[in-house]
Amino acid sequence: MSSVTLKSVTKSYGQTEVIRGVDIEIEKGEFCVFVGPSGCGKSTLLRMIAGLEDITSGDVAIGGRRVNELDPAQRGTAMVFQSYALYPHMTVERNMGFGLLMNGEPKAKVKAKVDEAARILQIEQLLDRKPRQLSGGQRQRVAIGRAIVRDPAVFLFDEPLSNLDAELRVATRLELAKLHSQLDGATMIYVTHDQVEAMTLADKIVVLRGGYVEQVGAPLDLYNNPANLFVAGFIGSPRMNLIAVKDGKLPDGTALPAAAAGAGHIGLRPDALAPDAGGILSGVITVVERLGDADFVYFRTPWGQELTTRFAPGTAGGAGDAIRLGVTGKMHVFDSNGQAIPA
Amino acid sequence: MADVMTHKDPFFTPRRRRQLVSVLLAALSAIWVYPLVWMIFASFKPNSELFSNPGMIPDAPTVENYVRAWREANISTYFFNTLFVTVGSVVITSIASALMGYVLGRRPVPGRFAIMGLMVFTLFIPQGYTIIPVFELLTKLGLGQSLWGLMLATCGHSIVVFTLLFAGYFTQMPKELEEACRMDGVGPVKTFVYVMLPLAKPIIVTVVVMQSLQAWNDFLLPLVITLANPAMRTLSVGIYSFKGENFVDWGGMTAASTIAIVPIILLFLFLQRYFIDGLAGAVKG
Ligand SMILES: Nc1ncnc2c1ncn2[C@@H]1O[C@H](COP(=O)(O)OP(=O)(O)O)[C@@H](O)[C@H]1O
Ligand SMILES: [Mg+2]
Repeated sequence: MSSVTLKSVTKSYGQTEVIRGVDIEIEKGEFCVFVGPSGCGKSTLLRMIAGLEDITSGDVAIGGRRVNELDPAQRGTAMVFQSYALYPHMTVERNMGFGLLMNGEPKAKVKAKVDEAARILQIEQLLDRKPRQLSGGQRQRVAIGRAIVRDPAVFLFDEPLSNLDAELRVATRLELAKLHSQLDGATMIYVTHDQVEAMTLADKIVVLRGGYVEQVGAPLDLYNNPANLFVAGFIGSPRMNLIAVKDGKLPDGTALPAAAAGAGHIGLRPDALAPDAGGILSGVITVVERLGDADFVYFRTPWGQELTTRFAPGTAGGAGDAIRLGVTGKMHVFDSNGQAIPA
Repeated sequence: MADVMTHKDPFFTPRRRRQLVSVLLAALSAIWVYPLVWMIFASFKPNSELFSNPGMIPDAPTVENYVRAWREANISTYFFNTLFVTVGSVVITSIASALMGYVLGRRPVPGRFAIMGLMVFTLFIPQGYTIIPVFELLTKLGLGQSLWGLMLATCGHSIVVFTLLFAGYFTQMPKELEEACRMDGVGPVKTFVYVMLPLAKPIIVTVVVMQSLQAWNDFLLPLVITLANPAMRTLSVGIYSFKGENFVDWGGMTAASTIAIVPIILLFLFLQRYFIDGLAGAVKG
């Protein structure tokens, strides 16, 4: 395991700047997730760490060693591709051992390593199959196995779950979390656009947008103290309610608490609202989603914005009912540039 | 046809229609292969019977045509000449077109489209125009009077098509395969040999079959190159020489022709499954 450090890293394709100066510090053994909307440069950044893309400027260091000019194979990283990129004509066993064999490792040693990885991933019975004889989840494991066999200092995952169906995705997510502890806390960098994956897997989340780092922190840090409007809206499901305010008043003129003075936006998580006859928010219910353990209520405010709140199961009314809500949890306050104002 | 499909005609059940089509196709194939089959049967007739018995089955079957052709008419030499030229040109074209196709299909070659365009352009030049320069070139290289020269020149027939086939196939392979190799520290040569080439098997088979057919059956090029040197003749040229000034040995000619086509039919039967996969694969990927 190794630490990974990125210093003022940029990447341009011709005139287009895709990564615009990124500083990230990833500790030894950390599970770090890059998350952000599609096209924000997550894959590019990961591929720069892997050595598959040139670094336009800045430094990438792995285990304290600058690796800008090193070949991918010399960086001590292993990558699991979104498409798995298994060699279609090779058996699972050969797929996993191929790199080592080609580099002249003795056959017996490679076999031992492949068997060990197969045991960890519980794919021992699949070793003789070709990739096309495997299900999506099994291919995924083989791809991970191919990475494990290399015994890398850093694992790199590029949206490894996005080709799996919803149920398998949740199961594999858990497996990955287990794997991280099973591999004695190997350093892992994981790219996803799914903030739920990020929240559940990460020790540290890096939120990216448009080639910039928006915020770095532990999952609950980001959830409780988003640094700006983008992170506030991106992290958490259902989304945080973000309301544009002016002169400390809601759009319908209701006065807000003093903390919101000078704010451009306030943010209220759905579970920070509760029915309150004297509350500041009012609206008409449009949809109720009953999930069994909670009711999610979507309601329309007098100024036409759709907001979300969460009720205890079975306590929400129906569509068309008027409701009035008060703030029971934290109110996030953002200035006119979208930056959080600490409470 | 549309009528037959829409209203229920009890005569044209799908099964009946299939049978009808099969019968028609069988009849067509029979017409197609009849001359070939006739020739093979004729090769077992003595010269005296060839014209007196226009039917297929020989009255007095004999292998003397074969003996005469193989021994006296030098067909044995021609056979091994052809084999040499064919095998050599297949080996060279397969390797060369796979390598060129890989580079053109997958590497950032400057001027790649110009190169490919020029290559395609050469497809439109008839062989009649190129045969003299090719002969000149071989003579300058000192290969004008050798089977090696003939073999090299034979490679040129379709190598452009083969290169484009490979390039097209390699273009559509996911780039992650090579990236996985790079991550594994597998160099470009090993990546090509162990990953890319095995995946291009359908194209390799296509190239082997097509080049074999072409080299084996080629007539004009070997005719020109072996004009001054009968010992270098290939089968197709050698068979033509059964047509003497005053007398045509039709029996020997049919026997020699049979010797000439059997290997190619065997090769095709052996590889046809892969061959058809390859042609289909080149289109659908
Ligand atoms: N080879 C390339 N040439 C030009 N632009 C590219 C190239 N690869 C990626 N990009 C651009 O870089 C941006 C980031 O891409 P990527 O890292 O794949 O995003 P993500 O993985 O976050 O969805 C995108 O806008 C994409 O269009
Ligand atoms: Mg991506």
